[in-house]
Amino acid sequence: MKVPVRWLKELVPNDLPPAEIAQRLTMAGLEAEGISEIGATWDRVYVGVVERVEPHPNADRLVLATVNAGEHHLTVVTGAPNIREGQKVPLALTGARLIDGYSDEFRMITLKPSTIRGVRSEGMVCSEKELGLSDEHEGILVLDPDAPVGVPLRDYLGESVIEFEITPNLVHAFSMVGIARELGALIDAPVLLPELADLEAVPRDPGLVTVEAPDLCPRYVGVVIENVRVEPSPEWLQRRLASAGVRPISNIVDITNYVMLEWGQPLHAFDRRFLHEGRIVVRRARPGERIETLDHVDRELTPDMLVIADADRAVAIAGVMGGLDSEIRDDTTTILLEAANFNMLNIRHTARAQRLRTEASSRFERGLDPNLVWTATQRAVALILQLNPEARVTVLADAYAEPRYPKTVVMPRAEIPRLLGIDYPDEVVLDVLSRLELQPEIRDVDGVRSVVVQVPTYRSDINIPADVVEEVARIVGYESLPETLPWGQTPHVTRDPMRRLIADTQDLLVAAGMTEIITYPMVSDDDLRALAPGAEAAPDRYGFFARPELDLVTARNPLRSEWTMMRPTLLPAWLKNVAENLKHSPGVAVFETGRVYLPRGVDELPDERPTLCLGFAGERHAADLYHRARPVDYFDVKGVVDALLPRLGAVDIVVRPITHPSLHPGRAAEITVKRQPVGIMGEVHPVVAEQFGIPAGQRVAVAEIDLKALFNTGLSDVELRPVSRYQPVEQDFAVVVDEAVPADAVEAALRAGAGPLATSVRLFDIYRGPAIDAGKKSLAYRVTLSAPDRELSENEIQRIRGRIERQLARQVSGTLRG
Amino acid sequence: MNDELEQIRQRAEQDLTAASDSQALAAWYAQYLGRKGEVTSLTRRLGALPPEERPAFGQAVNALKTALQESFDRRQEEVRRAELTQRLEAEAVDVTLPGRAPDIGTLHPVTQMIREVTDIFAHLGFQTVEGPEVEDAYYAFDALNIPKEHPARDVWDTIFIQSASREIVLRPHTSPMQIRTMEQSTPPVRVVVPGRCYRYEALDATHEWHFHQIEGLAVDERITMSDLKGVLAEFARQIFGRERKVRFRCDYFPFVEPGVDFAIDCMVCKGVGCRVCKGTGWIEILGAGMVHPNLLINVGYDPDRYTGFAFGMGVERLVMLKYGVQDIRAFYQGDVRFLAQFNRAAA
Ligand SMILES: [Zn+2]
Repeated sequence: MKVPVRWLKELVPNDLPPAEIAQRLTMAGLEAEGISEIGATWDRVYVGVVERVEPHPNADRLVLATVNAGEHHLTVVTGAPNIREGQKVPLALTGARLIDGYSDEFRMITLKPSTIRGVRSEGMVCSEKELGLSDEHEGILVLDPDAPVGVPLRDYLGESVIEFEITPNLVHAFSMVGIARELGALIDAPVLLPELADLEAVPRDPGLVTVEAPDLCPRYVGVVIENVRVEPSPEWLQRRLASAGVRPISNIVDITNYVMLEWGQPLHAFDRRFLHEGRIVVRRARPGERIETLDHVDRELTPDMLVIADADRAVAIAGVMGGLDSEIRDDTTTILLEAANFNMLNIRHTARAQRLRTEASSRFERGLDPNLVWTATQRAVALILQLNPEARVTVLADAYAEPRYPKTVVMPRAEIPRLLGIDYPDEVVLDVLSRLELQPEIRDVDGVRSVVVQVPTYRSDINIPADVVEEVARIVGYESLPETLPWGQTPHVTRDPMRRLIADTQDLLVAAGMTEIITYPMVSDDDLRALAPGAEAAPDRYGFFARPELDLVTARNPLRSEWTMMRPTLLPAWLKNVAENLKHSPGVAVFETGRVYLPRGVDELPDERPTLCLGFAGERHAADLYHRARPVDYFDVKGVVDALLPRLGAVDIVVRPITHPSLHPGRAAEITVKRQPVGIMGEVHPVVAEQFGIPAGQRVAVAEIDLKALFNTGLSDVELRPVSRYQPVEQDFAVVVDEAVPADAVEAALRAGAGPLATSVRLFDIYRGPAIDAGKKSLAYRVTLSAPDRELSENEIQRIRGRIERQLARQVSGTLRG
Repeated sequence: MNDELEQIRQRAEQDLTAASDSQALAAWYAQYLGRKGEVTSLTRRLGALPPEERPAFGQAVNALKTALQESFDRRQEEVRRAELTQRLEAEAVDVTLPGRAPDIGTLHPVTQMIREVTDIFAHLGFQTVEGPEVEDAYYAFDALNIPKEHPARDVWDTIFIQSASREIVLRPHTSPMQIRTMEQSTPPVRVVVPGRCYRYEALDATHEWHFHQIEGLAVDERITMSDLKGVLAEFARQIFGRERKVRFRCDYFPFVEPGVDFAIDCMVCKGVGCRVCKGTGWIEILGAGMVHPNLLINVGYDPDRYTGFAFGMGVERLVMLKYGVQDIRAFYQGDVRFLAQFNRAAA
């Protein structure tokens, strides 16, 4: 809301600079978003009076105007068609900074003396555009006749306008009077309320207004005013509206807007000629009913919308916008002035359905005080009579079935220290609440010493004791609160084990050289289809997760088509990230620990499972002095998983090949922990990679691990085994097995044979070639044997070798070579 | 005889001085002291001498042998030392060449900030908990004193989830966990809740539809707004510097009363006014207030016995303020060239 400071100071006289007013109100809850200065650049511009207008000797369309601005008295050349002798006008002297009135762009110029068609001009009379007041540049700005000659224009017309953001609770402050009340309370200054008309003597005619929908219209006041004359508003009114950001139109409409700004109550004026039977019916719209609104849009109405109608048809959409038919025209003489209170929700729905937010609707939407209706009527009538003294108020109707009265709120006196942790003296509390016009009293209520306040109906935000505490605190100022720490015992803080698992995972992966990413948790149907290209139906799993039978968690109002559902897998976002990073980095190593959202049923909240996606793409290790870069492959990701899972406490980790629509058919594996599936890993299928914009030929290896499933396997803590003081023995085994035998089976046989004395079993070479049979491979292992309590004897070692040999033969049909 | 020994000695000493590397030393040793060396062969001549001369000759040869051995040892040590010095000189490297650095990754700045903030609050007794992002509208709005008609529930602000009869939303704030936490526990309650939130909002440099918040809640007997101020001041000073001044400003949130905005003095201009603080000297970093009694009633707490405070902050905003990030979208574009810069070890 734009608040011109001159206007505010008229309501609350004070000497505070605009910045301080803005600051004080901001701290109290009315946030000032900025202050704009009208006339900040008006140096060397004065109020002048036009003494003489003479024709230019050498030009038909120019005149010579002699302008007296006190100390400055000079003749200027102007082409302004509206200049007349006796007018008060802005006179700019050479050196003044003005906006170029003849340029379409915003351009500042400095006024220089010039000779126009042989006549020297030492100054200029200014248009609104040249002063930056509006785009109007056809004629000069004509000031009020009582403008003081010789005064700098800035002192007369300059204005500071503070723009406030009004939070939804502060309906009462959404007006000049409301802000004046706030400021008055803050600086302890009286508020001078504007003059109101006394309407007690006006005859009442209930037939003038019929409210058929009192649920949507708690109050409707209609006033008939005859003998009005529609004409431009006086300069002061136009200027004031303009400074508050409202375009002046004509006196009657301007007054309705002015009263809305001043009191926060929207008003509307109808030309009564165009109201059938001259009366108002407030009712729901009829099916299919239409209206052409003031913005020249023909609108279809629905029965859930409230209209203002005459005897036959809608003449306004209630609280939103008037109809074109009945609008005030230049020849209007009799008006019906409307001031009404409407149901806030209904106005909001209607404005939204019509895609029409107006100054009026945005105020009604917040819920206005029905008693404001009468005040605003009185004020508007006073202004109309001020501008049209010959006008007559002939009749009025006030449909107000259930009047609203001030309410009483009782706050225990102790509530202030209980909530704030600090107390203020009774005098301060009473003083502050009095300034807010809450009529406070301190007395016992049910044996409790209390502050009792009477809340005016315009303060709909004060309902409970805490509201009263806030009123006291914000006016006294929150700087009065000390900084303390909570009383009592500090609760015992434990680390949530799942959060800890996630943090440990992140830390290990960072230590392993990977960078954490966070991606948007929404995906599109296309993203998921791209995970299984060529599949006829939806794939049976998305990433690690089996495809749920239920529909995925889908947005009703997605922001963009690429974010329509909550992801069931981290893969798509991870792949997109990799594609982006590959554009500028030869190798990518990124991971994300985020949730996936698995549906549990319609109307059920989904299962949000913490999940890990990690992997590599492009080159592994940048080429440098010591390494040559090489393309990433399956074993890069498996290596990280091999290092990660045991460190997270997983035991009995088994990897076996699987087929997966998103993964390379020969390089894809499932990971189980204690026989429970916890994840998948593999190289991304080249066709899938391509779907996500990863250039052909760039290898991508990825793992997706369900951290919840991993957690549920029961992660174990460190189990220490003693470090032997005796020299360990290393024994090598070259095991020849069929190609089809997986390495982990060979290792299992080795471990079975070696028993608990094997402290490590390490594969260090794989041989295929002429030295062994075709279809076989030779795996070379180094087994480290160590007993905690003795040196192993040659005999013992030979026995172990024998056991290993037997286990290899039995479990994997393996033989030892050489 | 002795002349001969003396000649051998002199020659051997000369040759030894001339031997300047291990190889020459080995050759020298073989020539003089080896099994077939000159000195060793002298002893073989012992038998040819008359018995009475043997002891003297034997002694003389042994003395020579010992002397030469000592000389050899000395010389060998010299040569070894020289050779080592030479080798080390030859091994000199350009110490400024790049090392073989291990790859070390980076935590996302949002993760880092969440950890930092939750750690600070852990020391103040706040347990970190998490809650659902896909949330029942009851927890996201109704129970938080945001009734159906409240503007925040507009379709324009919230992303709704398809459902049949129950209103389900992507939580627009972490505040639902205030209710869930209170429902699941009895006072004293102290929690912080980090997590993702969502808004139906067009993206620009300062607005994200997807962002992180950290909610805080403390409920007990005798919790006051001064406690809120003290706790937030402690938090802000740990993140933004001990010298920070703090400020409460009256503000409105439906689930607190009184409600405030919490600001710190601008760390860029120290409160004078600059572009970062939009000339005000203050930077608002979170919204807070005293838990609205309606919330306490909604979870079955006695509002006459218990009071509480709550606060909620945007994590991205904290990172942006702390590191001068200009565009919030950078956090989720995932460019590793941006993310990898947040690589300082935690203090
Ligand atoms: Zn600053």
